[in-house]
Amino acid sequence: MSKSILLSSAFHALIIILTIVTLPFVAKKPLDLPPLISVELIQISDKTNIPFAPKAKKIIEKIKEKEKKLVSEQAPPKKVKKIKPEAIPMPDQKVEKIKQIDDKQNPEVEDTKIKQVSEFEKKEIFDPTNIAALIDKSKENLAETDIKSNKITQSQDKSLNNVGLTLSEEDALKAQIFGCWSIPLGLPYNENLMVRIKLKLKPDGTIIDSEILDHARMNKPGQNFYKVLAESALRAIQLCQPLRVPSTGYERWKDLQLNFDAREMLEG
Amino acid sequence: MKKILLFILFFLFNVSKAYCLIEVDITRGNLNPLPIAVSPLFSDSDTKQELKNENNISKLGEKISEVVENNLRRTGLFNPLEKNAFLQNPDVAHLKPRFEDWKLIKAQALITGQVKFVDEKLRVEFRLWDVLAAKELMAIAFTTVPENWRRVGHIISDKIYERLTGEKGYFDTRIIYVAEQGPKTQRIKKLAIMDQDSVNTKYLTLGNELVLTPRFNPTNQMVTYLSYFKNLPRVYLLDIETGIQEVVGDFPGMTFAPRFSPDGKKIIMSFAKDGNSDIYTMNLENRIVNRITNHPSIDTSPSYSPDGKFITFNSDRSGFQQIYVMKSDGSNVKRISFGKGLYGTPVWSPRGDLIAFTKLHKGKFYIGVMRTDGSGERLLTENYYQEAPSWSPNGRVLIFYRETKSNSEGKGFSAKLWSIDLTGYNERQVPTETDGSDPSWSSLLSN
Amino acid sequence: MISNKIFKNVFLVFLLSFVLSACATQTRKVDTQMQGDVYTGTDTVEYLASGVPDRVFFATNESVLTTASRDTLRKQAGWLRKNSDITVVLEGHADERGTREYNLALGERRANAAKDYLMTYGISSDRISVISYGKERPVDSGSNPLAWSKNRRSVTVKAN
Repeated sequence: MSKSILLSSAFHALIIILTIVTLPFVAKKPLDLPPLISVELIQISDKTNIPFAPKAKKIIEKIKEKEKKLVSEQAPPKKVKKIKPEAIPMPDQKVEKIKQIDDKQNPEVEDTKIKQVSEFEKKEIFDPTNIAALIDKSKENLAETDIKSNKITQSQDKSLNNVGLTLSEEDALKAQIFGCWSIPLGLPYNENLMVRIKLKLKPDGTIIDSEILDHARMNKPGQNFYKVLAESALRAIQLCQPLRVPSTGYERWKDLQLNFDAREMLEG
Repeated sequence: MKKILLFILFFLFNVSKAYCLIEVDITRGNLNPLPIAVSPLFSDSDTKQELKNENNISKLGEKISEVVENNLRRTGLFNPLEKNAFLQNPDVAHLKPRFEDWKLIKAQALITGQVKFVDEKLRVEFRLWDVLAAKELMAIAFTTVPENWRRVGHIISDKIYERLTGEKGYFDTRIIYVAEQGPKTQRIKKLAIMDQDSVNTKYLTLGNELVLTPRFNPTNQMVTYLSYFKNLPRVYLLDIETGIQEVVGDFPGMTFAPRFSPDGKKIIMSFAKDGNSDIYTMNLENRIVNRITNHPSIDTSPSYSPDGKFITFNSDRSGFQQIYVMKSDGSNVKRISFGKGLYGTPVWSPRGDLIAFTKLHKGKFYIGVMRTDGSGERLLTENYYQEAPSWSPNGRVLIFYRETKSNSEGKGFSAKLWSIDLTGYNERQVPTETDGSDPSWSSLLSN
Repeated sequence: MISNKIFKNVFLVFLLSFVLSACATQTRKVDTQMQGDVYTGTDTVEYLASGVPDRVFFATNESVLTTASRDTLRKQAGWLRKNSDITVVLEGHADERGTREYNLALGERRANAAKDYLMTYGISSDRISVISYGKERPVDSGSNPLAWSKNRRSVTVKAN
């Protein structure tokens, strides 16, 4: 029994000694740090500050003086030395002024912020209401057309039911719009990318009115891409008009719905 | 009541039946970049004179619009049109564009603007127009010191990109990378930083010691990297603005593969000891070190999800290098890569839905993306050697580096930065003054 | 008819023997430099002392010591025992066909495999430190399997 305890303790001691011995870095002094060239960064946002040009010069000069002093005082290990760029063995390197701008030392903080000028601010930065306004108008119009079309349908019931465009008519229209539609390439590929647009057309194929059916989605947060997609579809219609519509049967296609779906293109 | 309802229902049904709207599905379009006209920002003659006197920057407006134009072109999403074809003068266009003229040269969007010099400050305003809808999409003005003109160009680019694509831009950003020189066996490596458009390159270290894998803090301008200073490979932390740096933690061995947590408050990295690499974090505020993985295999290249709740990393615990995901406390380790080949350097997208990776299969290297559960793997590019993707802050573009084959004398060797769109389109080299590797994209400098 | 058959067979046998000989010479050529994909040549090897090679080589993605590697390390251990004032650094390396960070870990693992073996032959661990260079310091710049095999190595370097 005592033998095994002895053995065990001996081995434990050995292991402890081994671990102590195998940690060579523990005892070492903290590292000195390699020299580093600091770089001037200019902040331009509302939150950060830009030194006013002449002031900046003064500040830079001040800091340079300070640095000179610091260097002559023999830098402590954690201080970052400034080394002249000439010392870098890079043949094609431009000599840069080494500047350090401390925002806190800059009294001109408020003035140097980039401001959005009020007149412009008012005008619109991102204007979701613009399109919405258009849609609202078209809605009113649509209400009228609905009534009208109802009248027509009642009188010409048979001819309207189940009569779409013929295949060739549809193909002609599709082919035209394919050519006009520039699909925005920045779209997320895993979202529903269908934009439905309802059109009201003149007999010659020019557009009286257009309405995006899911327009509410355009202004939802996180659905910015949808607005972009919808706008691209509207552009396509604008670019294509007058649309290549059949020469006859205006009543059939005076109201037309186009379903723009980018998914196939983006996945393929 | 019921009768009325029935009546209404009947009426509705009847109407819908009678009013049969023709629907046409448009499933194809062109994927050509959007034609956009960037009219040079104009300046009146007084301003021109002043600009010359103060800053030696003549034609400042043209230079800013050049920055914008180049940014937009490089995205691959826009096609800036030839300026010679513009029919309208910049000053008139800025006030009221003649949309027919711009339509004529096939522009779908138009950028106009003006540069002024007010009280020694630069005032830049610009407008974005939808040519086909004949309306203004946005108008913004900035004032700043004249030296900032490039950044103004980048910020304008960001605003335009955001308005036209629905996503944040990535132009007012920097890229930190390792600048390389010299023979392959004795490569000299320095930390270098440049603007996203390859301008303003600055070298942060002298090349006396080997430096690798710099990574930006997603919340500010701090950088973490690996340095072989005094032949002790350790993770360092560097404040670019002040130049202050320090060793991260007090580890009795090599620390490597550092990356910041999404809140910027922690560094996650590997620590190698006695032939075993595991993942650790160090809190930068209270210096507390946590061990995240404890496995005899190599666990490295950790990267947090943007919500900070998960970590992806690569490990050879299955026998080969594969990608895993775990909770940020190290629990629930799950392998997610099951394709053929080896998988490494997983990086979580800033949007959170994808993980970018490097794949080695049959002697070829690929940069790809997969969903965070490992499904939907898409390989974006194939090459002899490429690795280490880093996301643009909007999660739209990946930057990585690519090396070429060489003979025994090292002839033919080069290391270059490349970028590619998430769609796999628009692969292009990112110019650097010297060879470059290990790129890392900063967040937007202005928000 | 029969003679024709015999002739055919003889011809076939000759042809096959040619094929075989071609194979044999090829494998012999590789044999002088690599076994499996472990480098066995001596081009890049330096010597700590006469008869004491300074490095051992590894297979792709491996850190297992081969018989030859163990032999080399035993020689090193013997030399280290004789020169008890010498401390060494084991430098672990990987070839260029892997991601940078994984290679750093792999180099560390290889150097430690060598270190562990030296320790079992009685060399105290405080005389051995370990550093990994990953793929950063190749000896052969070539982009071919032979060059890569030379670069997958752990090198014992005198530290004092």
